[in-house]
Amino acid sequence: MSDITATAKNEQGMVNAVDSKDDYLLRVKDLCLHFRTTKGIVQAVDGVSFELKRRRSVAILGESGCGKTSLARAILRLLPRNVHKFTGEVWLNGTDVMKMSDEWFRQNVRWVKASMVSQAAMNALNPVLRVGYQVAEPLMIHLHMSKEQALQRAREMFRLVGVPEDFLHRYAFELSGGMRQRAILAMALVTRPDLIVLDEPTSALDMLTQANIFNALKDIKRQFDVGFILITHDISTSSDLADEVIIMYAGQLVEHSLAQTGYRAPLHPYARGLMASVPTLREDKRLEFIPGQPPSLISPPSGCRFAPRCPQRFERCAQEPPTFRVGEHGELVKCWLYAKD
Amino acid sequence: MDNLRRIGKYTLLRGVLIVITVAIGVYLTVIIATMGGYMDKIMASQIREQVGTILQGNEELRKLPPAELKLIIDQMVEQRMREYNLHTPWIVRSFRYLANALTLNLGMAEKVYSDSGSRQVRLILTERLPATLLLMVTANLIVFFSALFTALVLSRHYGSPLDRAVVALSPTSAAPAWFYGIFLILIFASVLRVLPYGGMVSIPPPKEPLAYALSVLKHLVLPVSAWFLAGIFSSVYYWRTFFLIYSSEDYVEMAKAKGLSSRAIERRYILRPTLPPIITSFGLMLITTWMGAIILENVFTWPGLGRLLQMAINLYDAPVIVGEVVIYAYLLGITVFLLDIAYAALDPRVKLGAGGRRPA
Repeated sequence: MSDITATAKNEQGMVNAVDSKDDYLLRVKDLCLHFRTTKGIVQAVDGVSFELKRRRSVAILGESGCGKTSLARAILRLLPRNVHKFTGEVWLNGTDVMKMSDEWFRQNVRWVKASMVSQAAMNALNPVLRVGYQVAEPLMIHLHMSKEQALQRAREMFRLVGVPEDFLHRYAFELSGGMRQRAILAMALVTRPDLIVLDEPTSALDMLTQANIFNALKDIKRQFDVGFILITHDISTSSDLADEVIIMYAGQLVEHSLAQTGYRAPLHPYARGLMASVPTLREDKRLEFIPGQPPSLISPPSGCRFAPRCPQRFERCAQEPPTFRVGEHGELVKCWLYAKD
Repeated sequence: MDNLRRIGKYTLLRGVLIVITVAIGVYLTVIIATMGGYMDKIMASQIREQVGTILQGNEELRKLPPAELKLIIDQMVEQRMREYNLHTPWIVRSFRYLANALTLNLGMAEKVYSDSGSRQVRLILTERLPATLLLMVTANLIVFFSALFTALVLSRHYGSPLDRAVVALSPTSAAPAWFYGIFLILIFASVLRVLPYGGMVSIPPPKEPLAYALSVLKHLVLPVSAWFLAGIFSSVYYWRTFFLIYSSEDYVEMAKAKGLSSRAIERRYILRPTLPPIITSFGLMLITTWMGAIILENVFTWPGLGRLLQMAINLYDAPVIVGEVVIYAYLLGITVFLLDIAYAALDPRVKLGAGGRRPA
């Protein structure tokens, strides 16, 4: 539990950041990503900080439009054209990648240290290049392997994720959705990165294929020195893979806890609402939902951003934004309910 | 082997279909050019008028009794009608026209002569073809490739001042090339006197090949510039939007995440998947090239197919009109046929003949 609390201590200035570089896969500090739109500035990611140790996986949960995908994009520096503000620190394996130039980042971080499995797998493969070539491509670019060597490695990866080897020579349209997603998984693994961002990896697939992919992911996690950031709407499936849970609301992180407590006993009222909305098989339970809509990210509420929808709000909530508090089990929660002062 | 047979079958089928389409197109042209048989009546009355005029001039014949005179007139008309084959029913002749046209037996022009004095439609057309090709291919290639290249750069700098300028200027393409041509002639030929008003080569043509080429080049500048001005902005705008759409595909984002250089992304993830539509545009552009530009050629007195077509239409010269359309139809058919094959070669999703999956 101490790995989570460290963030809180840093935030409150109690402990000076001790650079235990080797321990941390990822440390994000005060990351902001704002977009310029015709209606105003959208604060898609606003002051997010968290840490993740090596070989651990974190699930990022939240409603649509709460900034999950934007957070992942910000970490991977996959920015749209209308970026207004992009600040903060992203320490990957002890290096602040935010200080790198675009070209340096491309050559030394992209796919070498961090890869991704994107949403909408149907369209994530180039339709006119053979799948094997696309999987092998990062090896040729970053590790300067020959095409044969790279394809050999791609073949090993295909075996690992359960794609028949002769699919190397096929085109994306000749693969089923599940096979395509596995091929992308093979692509994400091929350079043995330290971090893989899984952005809704199974959202377009049927239940059995989903289960299959998650089993493959669990195998990978066991075998490789790799950490996952799993972004999903599918709370129940994510609990299978995640060691930690991050709940996001309106561009901010509201709770960061270990999976053991995060799923069963969340602290933040929003997290509680979210977890209560998950259906349980054959149990006559009334599914909860949170009334209202997430606030506009152009002009979010000045106090706690969840206050307008919160069933437990009190005066303070609307007045000042809450800071992180440490819960009983080491959870970090951004809510005035847990303020002892 | 099985694959090869399927490809052969598909190619044959496409070929036959295209030939049928071309035949239908040419037959429609025959009907239009002969006004569905009405042309025969025009021709007959023209012949009667001609014969009348000839006889009017002959003092001796005028003295003959009216009945005898009528007989002679009828004989002469009859003879000429036979010369033009006007006795055969129009519907029979229309199919004979079609057969001749399809075998490129284009026959004799009725009124138009070639510059060398021949009435053979084939000679008339081959004489005009190089001029049109020189002008249109030059102009179109310049527009096409400069637009494609500029668009690729602009799509990378979306929203930049240059990008906005091109978007703002794209409506200028609403005016046709000849419109710009008139202004260019006014400025560069009339006021500045640096470039010729029109024509393809100065008169008399220079003897030396190099001087000749330079003279042609000088004559080419204004019409090509007119074509360029009229086409470039909307073309760039079109391709830029096209590339913008395709560069927001998920696989392009994936390629970026993979750390490919922007040049590799452009080549393998933007240009390569969009090659089929680009090739289509290129093919269609080549087709328009064959027809020439009627008004532009007239404005610049350029001796091409476009001017010929206009002349033939004015003179009701059906064989020339049909001949020109036949060549055009054939070229269109061949282009479409080649495009089909290029598509199948470039895009693995396009299958030669619907034959299910490729063997694993």
